[in-house]
Amino acid sequence: MTVALAPAVVVERSSPMRGATELVLRHPPSAGSVLPGQFFQIAVGAPHTILRRPYSAAWADPVSGRIGFIFNVVGAGSAWLANRHEGHELDLLGPLGRGFDLDGERPAIVVAGGLGVAVFPGVVQALVAHSRRVTVLLGARTAAQLLPADRFVGAQVQTATDDGTAGYRGSVVDLLKGVTSNDLFACGPTPMLQTLMRKAREVELPLSSIQVALETPMGCGLGTCLGCAAPRIAGGYLLTCQDGPCVRADRIDWDRMTDAFHG
Amino acid sequence: MVASGTFGYGFDAQLVDRSALGAIVSKGTTPRPREGNAPTRIGETPSGMLNAIGLQNPGVEHVAREFAPLWATWEVPVIVNVAGDAIEDYVAVARRLDGIAGIAGLELNISCPNVANGLQFGLDPRLAADLTHAVRRATQLPLIVKLTPNVTDIVAVGQAVQAAGADAVSAINTFVGMAIDVRRRRPILSRSSGGISGPAIKPLALQAVWQLAAALSIPVIGIGGITTPSDALEFLLAGAAAVQLGTVNYVRPQAAREVHDGIATYLDEHGFGDLRALPIRRSRVLANA
Repeated sequence: MTVALAPAVVVERSSPMRGATELVLRHPPSAGSVLPGQFFQIAVGAPHTILRRPYSAAWADPVSGRIGFIFNVVGAGSAWLANRHEGHELDLLGPLGRGFDLDGERPAIVVAGGLGVAVFPGVVQALVAHSRRVTVLLGARTAAQLLPADRFVGAQVQTATDDGTAGYRGSVVDLLKGVTSNDLFACGPTPMLQTLMRKAREVELPLSSIQVALETPMGCGLGTCLGCAAPRIAGGYLLTCQDGPCVRADRIDWDRMTDAFHG
Repeated sequence: MVASGTFGYGFDAQLVDRSALGAIVSKGTTPRPREGNAPTRIGETPSGMLNAIGLQNPGVEHVAREFAPLWATWEVPVIVNVAGDAIEDYVAVARRLDGIAGIAGLELNISCPNVANGLQFGLDPRLAADLTHAVRRATQLPLIVKLTPNVTDIVAVGQAVQAAGADAVSAINTFVGMAIDVRRRRPILSRSSGGISGPAIKPLALQAVWQLAAALSIPVIGIGGITTPSDALEFLLAGAAAVQLGTVNYVRPQAAREVHDGIATYLDEHGFGDLRALPIRRSRVLANA
């Protein structure tokens, strides 16, 4: 893995769903090397912040050299980032970590809760390109917070909202049915993932069939600070930045997993 | 130099030109492997970082067998930071590493609580001296003692470890601090409190180094929030013989190179042959001025 420190130029900024910002950067080395599920550490210039912010690439296009990031404003760093405009330069460190293992033949199901959807446009595109049958299950609090289904070309999309304004009313995990011979790809809040693991046990889907993009607080992203610990089922901790962020769900002790703090 | 805990054991630094470094100080190493604390382990505070990693490390045996032989092939010296719960722990690590190729020195983290009485070694000049003395007898390696700033009189601790045989002190370790997540109404760290590092503590660190450099005859290594060549020069002008970069390594992996080159440019531009030629002007407080 080569890791590059390089300036990237903002070429497009939009809001793909309520509360979220999508920044499109032009940076051919990153767009050409990132694997679906990998992340970057982005330097932010907000006053009194010091740490970089970790963001999974939402998608990348090696041909145009463009790479997209989708995020919510949750603190000073993301607020600063959401205020970048066309022509601004960003300092990117990456691509970092392990992406999803997309090999296999079985139909794929993507389970995305809230902003967990941000990692999946590129993943689904890659799965479709591998001729996998893909179902995307999207969950959000309300319809306006759902990433539009047209971002998942070639996949069947089902939605769930807490308030029932779109699709099924309730948890996105409830949309899972008859999944014992599928590969699952999941990202979302820890409580949603814990519900997903309980459901998987109920329907006797091995947790090794589920890959999760972990979200934990992160310091350096390089395996040095040991800040992004995630509890391992075998005891001790793995590092989200190095062993993840994409891991098989049977490696994680979901009972000890805490919800990520967003600063 | 790069500070303990901010550079691992030197192997993860894919982006760093090690030739820019005077030395690498390793992650805190204990006699046996440690898993570290439950998450959440880190947080950000204004211009600072909060951490309570819990000394996650592979243990001294692994360091001696797997890492030291590789370090022996590097040009940059590696100093092992040593931590423990009791004096015997420090002594055990020091003994195991004594005389091994690839180990250039030891840095004692005396901010660890002593299990015997719960008090951190570094908070009490006598405890700190006892620890230093015991390790001094266990090793021929150069011995640096890393001082904690969470004391009333850091100079007293510095003098005590100097008298007990320390070859140098590094100052400072992190300040104890905390942050609370108001949305969830609970401390951000699972351990509630942790160590604050980063630019927020730089003026506090600088003053500690200034005091220590005036009082001690052994070298003082300055640490605390250095991110730029100018920051490093402040510590050198305060009397530090060398500096360590810490938190900035997480943010700008090439910071050591930038700081190193920036100091060289400054010396050149101001006509100083080398660091030793840098004049230190202590302000004089005139009673009747």
